[in-house]
Amino acid sequence: MNEVAMTSSNPSPTEGTEPAGAPADELELVAKAQAGDTAAFDELVIRYRQRAFSMIYNMVRNEQDAWDLAQDGFVKAWKSIGRFRGQSSFYTWLYRILMNVGIDWLRRKQIESGTEFDDTMGLRNVEAGAVTAPRGELAPVERISDKEIRERIDAAIAKLSPEHRAAIVMREIDGLEYSEIAERMECSIGTVMSRLFYARKKLQAMLKDVYENI
Amino acid sequence: MKTFEECFTAWVDGQLSGEALAAFEKELAAHPEAAADRDAARQLGKLLRAHSTAPALSNADFFSLQLQRRIDAETPPRRQPVKPEREAVVSIFSRLAWAGVFFLVLAGASFFLTIPHRPAQPLAPSNYFAQVVESWPSDPGISATTVYNPEDNVTVLWLDGLDYMPSEQLALK
Repeated sequence: MNEVAMTSSNPSPTEGTEPAGAPADELELVAKAQAGDTAAFDELVIRYRQRAFSMIYNMVRNEQDAWDLAQDGFVKAWKSIGRFRGQSSFYTWLYRILMNVGIDWLRRKQIESGTEFDDTMGLRNVEAGAVTAPRGELAPVERISDKEIRERIDAAIAKLSPEHRAAIVMREIDGLEYSEIAERMECSIGTVMSRLFYARKKLQAMLKDVYENI
Repeated sequence: MKTFEECFTAWVDGQLSGEALAAFEKELAAHPEAAADRDAARQLGKLLRAHSTAPALSNADFFSLQLQRRIDAETPPRRQPVKPEREAVVSIFSRLAWAGVFFLVLAGASFFLTIPHRPAQPLAPSNYFAQVVESWPSDPGISATTVYNPEDNVTVLWLDGLDYMPSEQLALK
């Protein structure tokens, strides 16, 4: 098997917008918030509430749940802001909290509904590297509305396990690098790549008729 | 060593290069459908990005307000300022110090009032050279000194603590 040589041909969309550490004014707000200044923390909330909401929304695919979970994420951030050391931007730190809030919520929901996500569902008897998406079995769709596409995507993503869902959202939608995903999911890069492989295969199987007919 | 899944993912994302890319593509020669599968994965990525735009956060100000209320409700009230506590501690120590001073004065007064004192020496020291250089008392409570009485112009040997001396011992060398 080959060693994988990584290239940086796919720059993260966070590049250029988020410096390695937190910017000075942000650090000042964080320092004030760490001292108990809720107004300073509110300023941070105003800066990042839309991004936090969008990120959670892409995970849970429901506006009301995303609102509640974004609130939970900010409350957790407030409670643990004393542990923020400024080694990354505030949003990077917040993102990890939000991701954990989202994954925990999906796991709870999975337990409550009795749903079991089989990460290798439909792939057991498929050779690695083989085309797994059904080919030409579905009737071509003349025109699918945006609303219908979104519903299909939501339904397909809902069938992914929380870990696969998080990996695909971070890579395909948020555009994070493997190393960033691994750091935020607290797992190895190899695990991230493996999760992406199976998540893509499952989504390809469920959405082939959609992406081939738009 | 990477698994096939890891290499395939890196290949789809254009993250393989050089020898690793050549070796993997050589391995894929046995899988003619792999290129189509890679293209399908990329199409899927485009589909997800194009149709996964999250809606704008409605009522953003209310979001902040509600969050602020939750934070206020879940944050334990801050402790009272430290200053009054310090003042209370200082007050206690101050009272203790004054009480200590009072009892010291009381004890000192009691001592001087209840303990009998040796009377002051009635006689001035001798003007003559008369001094007890050495003595060997049988009782360590007995001490010997010389005093001079100018009225009588005599030097007296004062034996302090000696209550009784046998007459046969009175002979002086």
